[in-house]
Amino acid sequence: MIEAPPPAYLRLDRLTKRFGPIVAVDDVSLTVRRGEFMTLLGPSGSGKTTTLSIIAGFEAPTSGDVLLDEQSIRQVPPHRRNIGMVFQRYTLFPHMTVFHNVAFPLTVRRRPRSDIAAAVQRALALVQLGDLGDRKPNQLSGGQQQRVALARALVYEPEILVMDEPLGALDKKLREEVQVEIRRIHRQLGVTLLYVTHDQDEALRMSDRIAVFDHGRVVQVGTGEELYDTPATRFVGGFIGSSNFITATVVGAEGALVMVRLPDGSITAVKQRGEAAAGAEVSLMVRPEKWQLSLHIPDGNACTCSVTVSEASFLGDTLVYEVVAGWGQKLLVRDMLGPGRGERFSTGTRAVLSWRPGEVRLFD
Amino acid sequence: MLLTLDRIGPGRYALYVIGVVTAIFLLLPIVFIALLSFGSSQWLQFPPPSWTLRWYRELFVDPRWVAAFWTSARIATTVMVLSIALGLPVSFALVRGRFWGRNLLHAFFVSPLIIPVVILGIGLYAIFLDIELNGTFPGLVAGHLILALPFSVVCISNALQGFDEGIEQAAVICGASPIAAVWRVTLPSIRAGVLSAALFSFLVSWDEVVLSIFLSGPIWQPISVKIWTSLQLNLNPVIAAVSTILILVTTLAMGGAYLLRRRIAR
Repeated sequence: MIEAPPPAYLRLDRLTKRFGPIVAVDDVSLTVRRGEFMTLLGPSGSGKTTTLSIIAGFEAPTSGDVLLDEQSIRQVPPHRRNIGMVFQRYTLFPHMTVFHNVAFPLTVRRRPRSDIAAAVQRALALVQLGDLGDRKPNQLSGGQQQRVALARALVYEPEILVMDEPLGALDKKLREEVQVEIRRIHRQLGVTLLYVTHDQDEALRMSDRIAVFDHGRVVQVGTGEELYDTPATRFVGGFIGSSNFITATVVGAEGALVMVRLPDGSITAVKQRGEAAAGAEVSLMVRPEKWQLSLHIPDGNACTCSVTVSEASFLGDTLVYEVVAGWGQKLLVRDMLGPGRGERFSTGTRAVLSWRPGEVRLFD
Repeated sequence: MLLTLDRIGPGRYALYVIGVVTAIFLLLPIVFIALLSFGSSQWLQFPPPSWTLRWYRELFVDPRWVAAFWTSARIATTVMVLSIALGLPVSFALVRGRFWGRNLLHAFFVSPLIIPVVILGIGLYAIFLDIELNGTFPGLVAGHLILALPFSVVCISNALQGFDEGIEQAAVICGASPIAAVWRVTLPSIRAGVLSAALFSFLVSWDEVVLSIFLSGPIWQPISVKIWTSLQLNLNPVIAAVSTILILVTTLAMGGAYLLRRRIAR
């Protein structure tokens, strides 16, 4: 197999990129560990692709630095950075066969011919396309083209592999197939991988850690679980997984609990660190599976709210309800249908939504 | 549904007739000239009383005709090479460049296509008179180049426009220097466009009469000018033979380019 490249340690130090008046990347600092699978996640225009372009060397930062093993690579031109890259668009060289595409990085490095043949075969075997070396790119499917591009990016054993929405042009089924492939190759080679996507499922499925981008800034860095359970901002909460947001007013604090008033006037408690000034307007976030629907107010649950079921959809492993709160807002409830969970609610049923104070988050 | 031949019904026969008549109209002069060049009549009588290769023999033994032929070939080849050499950087600048006045510059490079050649000829003649380029090889090449460059720029710019710059970036991140990436990836990818540019540049120069009349002299006389001046003296079948050879060269050039393009497409 391909030798594991020397693992790299990549650090972005207060990176900023302006295009005229537009700030594409705004003071981004990020540390990527050796061998880590780090995903840059964010909506389009959030600065993640520009950040990747700066790392690859195609864009120069307006200020800030990119450091590899604490050495600045700002002055290193892209073709000397020894970074592997897979693009969103198909970028195989159209006039070359698959073999020559994968051989290209080694040919420009003037490796001996016999070494090249062997390395190309290993790289193609790694992406399971060992027998397609003679094909031209236009004879390959989109998934195959991206796998060849991956082989081409790995054949010279780069220290860092960056991927810019490599599966964006593929359909869903193919995408999941190649996702598994990329995970396997990452584990096998231990290469440091930076992966850009706007697809939160993809980010959660593949990454060791995720950096969430919004308006050119990194708003939170963490594992998928951390981002899902303790989003740092309302944006992260809304972007990763589905959420309900309820506008509420802070009434006061009691120890570790903050008391807020819901739009229907009921008071509810939220476990929240930090200060919350009375009278402040806040956003209350609840994940759809973190609250329960029941006919009567259950014992022991501090927080409740009465609702009317407006829609129930059976999705096999889950039941998804849309309920309408007293103040007219539609809320999402997901019942994970574990064993022994019996109650079903039909449309029009008046029910009670209940949750524990620790499962709700407050944002300004 | 689109309009197809099947849906027109009997009307399609009218279309066939129009198509065939148009083709005949376009081809007839060429066929006529080719037939006359093999005819025995001194006065270009048609149909020819008998067939002969006499005019071709006369042509090939006349050093003035042979010289004119080689003059044209040398000028056209030089124009072709220079037109590509200049057209490539111009196209890169026009397609990839981000600078003020880019569209204006593009229009400028295409403008020789819309300026009447006679006017260009008068202007060049006046300028070349001063710098003593009239009747010289460089003068003819420079004049033809003005007419050929727009074709080269249009062909290469179009090809470059259709080429994803990301592919070049991929070559760079793979370790190729920017120049190596252009040389090994971009140029091979747009070679069909470069080939068309070369073909058009060659043919523009090969066919050129008006500008050449202004710029040629006794030593450097392209075959098109030679035909023109001979015609003014007398009309004889040698000119038909020359014309046939000219058409043959053009056809061969286009056929060769077609075969090359087909190989590229594969």
